Amino acid sequence: MTAIVIDRVSKTFGSVKAVDQVELTVGDGEFFTLLGPSGCGKTTLLRMIAGFCELDSGEIRFGDRRIDRLAAHTRDIGMVFQNYAVFPNLTVAGNVAYGLKARSIAGAEIERRLAEALALVQLAGYGARWPHQLSGGQLQRVAIARALVIRPQVLLFDEPLSNLDARLRVSMRAEIRELQKSLGITAIYVTHDQEEAMSVSDRIALMSAGRLEQVGTPAEIYRHPASRFAAEFMGTTNLLDAALLGRGGSGTVSLRPEALRLLPPDAAAPAGWQSLAGTVARVEILGPITRVETHLADGTPVKLATLDEPHLPLQPGQRVTLVFDPARLTVLP
Amino acid sequence: MNAFLIPYRLRLPLAIAAGAFLFLGLFLLYPLFNVFSASLLDADGERFTFANYVKILGRPFYRGAIANTLGIGVAATAITTALSVPFAFALARLPIPGKTAILALAALPLVLPSFVSAYAIVLLLGRSGLITQALQSWGIGFGSIYGAGGIVLVYTLTLYPYVLLPTIAAFKAIDVSMEEAAQSLGASPRRTVWTVTLPIVLPAILAGALLVFIETLENFGVPFVLAEDMPIFAVEAFKLFIGETAPNPSSAGVLGVLLILTTALVLLVQRRYLAPRRFATATRTAPPLLAVGRGTRAIATVYCWAIVLLALVPFFAIVVLSFMEFRGPVLHPHFSLDNFAVLLDRAGRPLVNTLIFATLTAACVTLVGVPIGYVVTRFRSGLATLLDVIATLPFAVAGTVLAIGFVVSFNSGPLVLAGGPLIMILAYTVRKVPFAVRSSSAILHQIDASLEEASISLGRSPLQTLLRVVVPLMLGGILSGIVLTWVTVASELSSTVVLYSGPWRTLTVVMFQALEGGGAGIATAAASTLIVVTLIPIALLYRLVRRYELSML
Repeated sequence: MTAIVIDRVSKTFGSVKAVDQVELTVGDGEFFTLLGPSGCGKTTLLRMIAGFCELDSGEIRFGDRRIDRLAAHTRDIGMVFQNYAVFPNLTVAGNVAYGLKARSIAGAEIERRLAEALALVQLAGYGARWPHQLSGGQLQRVAIARALVIRPQVLLFDEPLSNLDARLRVSMRAEIRELQKSLGITAIYVTHDQEEAMSVSDRIALMSAGRLEQVGTPAEIYRHPASRFAAEFMGTTNLLDAALLGRGGSGTVSLRPEALRLLPPDAAAPAGWQSLAGTVARVEILGPITRVETHLADGTPVKLATLDEPHLPLQPGQRVTLVFDPARLTVLP
Repeated sequence: MNAFLIPYRLRLPLAIAAGAFLFLGLFLLYPLFNVFSASLLDADGERFTFANYVKILGRPFYRGAIANTLGIGVAATAITTALSVPFAFALARLPIPGKTAILALAALPLVLPSFVSAYAIVLLLGRSGLITQALQSWGIGFGSIYGAGGIVLVYTLTLYPYVLLPTIAAFKAIDVSMEEAAQSLGASPRRTVWTVTLPIVLPAILAGALLVFIETLENFGVPFVLAEDMPIFAVEAFKLFIGETAPNPSSAGVLGVLLILTTALVLLVQRRYLAPRRFATATRTAPPLLAVGRGTRAIATVYCWAIVLLALVPFFAIVVLSFMEFRGPVLHPHFSLDNFAVLLDRAGRPLVNTLIFATLTAACVTLVGVPIGYVVTRFRSGLATLLDVIATLPFAVAGTVLAIGFVVSFNSGPLVLAGGPLIMILAYTVRKVPFAVRSSSAILHQIDASLEEASISLGRSPLQTLLRVVVPLMLGGILSGIVLTWVTVASELSSTVVLYSGPWRTLTVVMFQALEGGGAGIATAAASTLIVVTLIPIALLYRLVRRYELSML
């Protein structure tokens, strides 16, 4: 049972507050992601959990046990690194068995767990290979097997997919998520890629400038961003003046492009939906979806995304009516 | 401070740093401090005074020594650079036959003892030299090779690789697209070389040139053999020290301090202005060879081979001469093994000493230098920077001066080492530490730090990680460092002549004494033995040494 408690943790490098009073609780068995742009403090926070960076203040606990003062090699953590960090002077088997040998586990047991771990990452039979004979994706599997085989209390992933090509990234992230769920080990995953974060995580902590911007499930953060930063970081959005949409008061609202629909000529807007009149400025057909940039009467740009709609030909300059469900507006503070 | 408040992660580097500061403090800073204080105290070593500086700098002889040393250094540096840059360009960019062989031979003068080359020059071109006499019998005379001319010649022949090797590397590291960009903008190939290629490699050239300059300032053996009456810094410091009878070696101290300040100044210039200007071009493939006419190609080939071979002629000559018969200083062209018989008979012990000292020093340098390199590279902090600076300091200290500091420091007091073998090994170790630190730090830069973190997160302590992950990955570089330390210590002369005592003579001392006493036969035998002793390990581990050699520069 390993919940991770991060209790008012801070770290300053020079005059930069890398991590600023962060408070988090990661549930047992949860797949939790630290998401944010580079320099937001997510990697520093991960390294503090791993023991490669000291805390200026605060505490980190695994369950009830405080671990932030423990030596890194005694924390019982499996870590997967951005550049794999597979030992080039050891075979695949040597790499995966490294942590078992460090724990003085008996030879027969090592053999058994080694085979099990390699099978788990679909590298059965690769034990005798050398790292330089493997592809990037295979190296990453070795790194994952090496971290899993020690049956750690906690798994840490430091941007593990950023060195892989786009297709492999998509399939590996699904594999990682599946492995973590089947083993039930609490995992913290660091990435700057919001799509990756949304795809693998139970919950996400969005970070900016060392602070937690918002914590929630992927859907919560995407649909109900708590700040302008969150709204923009989680995906393309329209940040519009509340007054413009006929809502009282000042302030900004976020309206995702896919929440807007083009109203076909002569059709009526669904009941309760709001509508806006605009002019098409640009059309990008990306394949499955089409992005349309329109301008409202006062010149405000509004972006819209629809699935490919061959029956609705759009030309720049064309006048269109945009409609949306007001429930999909998020008022930003 | 409570040890438990130090984060676990920092305990190993702090322990290494503490050990390193202790070692360097005792065997580097303390002796240097004693040289400084010797220069600032009166002859009895009691009162503070600037009189020593006034006395030394007031005498034209010592002002001359300073001027000669700097003048020779500048001349040798300029000639070396002028010869090496076209050489490097030809090797990197022109189609020249036998490149691998040229590169292998060009690196040799770095490890062969330069004073042996100087001695060979004397045997060939000196007053009663082989070539001199042959020419005289035909009625041809030429100027004396003693003095500045001969010294500059030997420096040029032995030090040119310091400029050549980094410059080749820089020429090869140039991104071709830079040159292509220049040409697409309308520059002719010739203009491209002057406006793009050379400026990019300039920092590497200048860095090499400064190394040459420092080497000339610190060199003891070459001027000792060739200078005759001409006063030279390092030699005069040695003579003053040996001749000084007062309890405080104040005059030698003054020369030592001046020498340290000069080299330190040069190094400072290098660090401040050159180091940050190295243009890193991220390219894997070397630029293509230039298409040139046959004539150019022939000239370039002759040029490269001529330099490489000329530099090795003196060493080759020594080996040949060592198999000939000498009567006193006079050479008779008969094959004979007498010289080696005499050497074994009279200098068997020094040969063994040389091998033992070189081996022990190589071990000590590795044990001291590699951990320092590790801390300096992996832990960025003020403490690590300070350690880096102190560990580089021996580079700015001539062997003669460090040795004088050792004698002054460990002649009496709590730690008496003078007269024993340990003082020599310690002095050698201190002198070679900067090279070990640099080379291990260069290797470590190529080893991803996350490998260590992976090992630690898998349950190995930082110390176990250092031993089981870092050291095995560094092994090639460490071994190559051991070889280079070994061969350079085997031919060390400048601190040896100050520190040796009767039973602990080395081969270089045997040569040194033979030079003073005129036993040319035993000197040549000692010199060829030294050459063989140097070449064997290099040849055995050639590939390895080749790969890491540059990082030692």
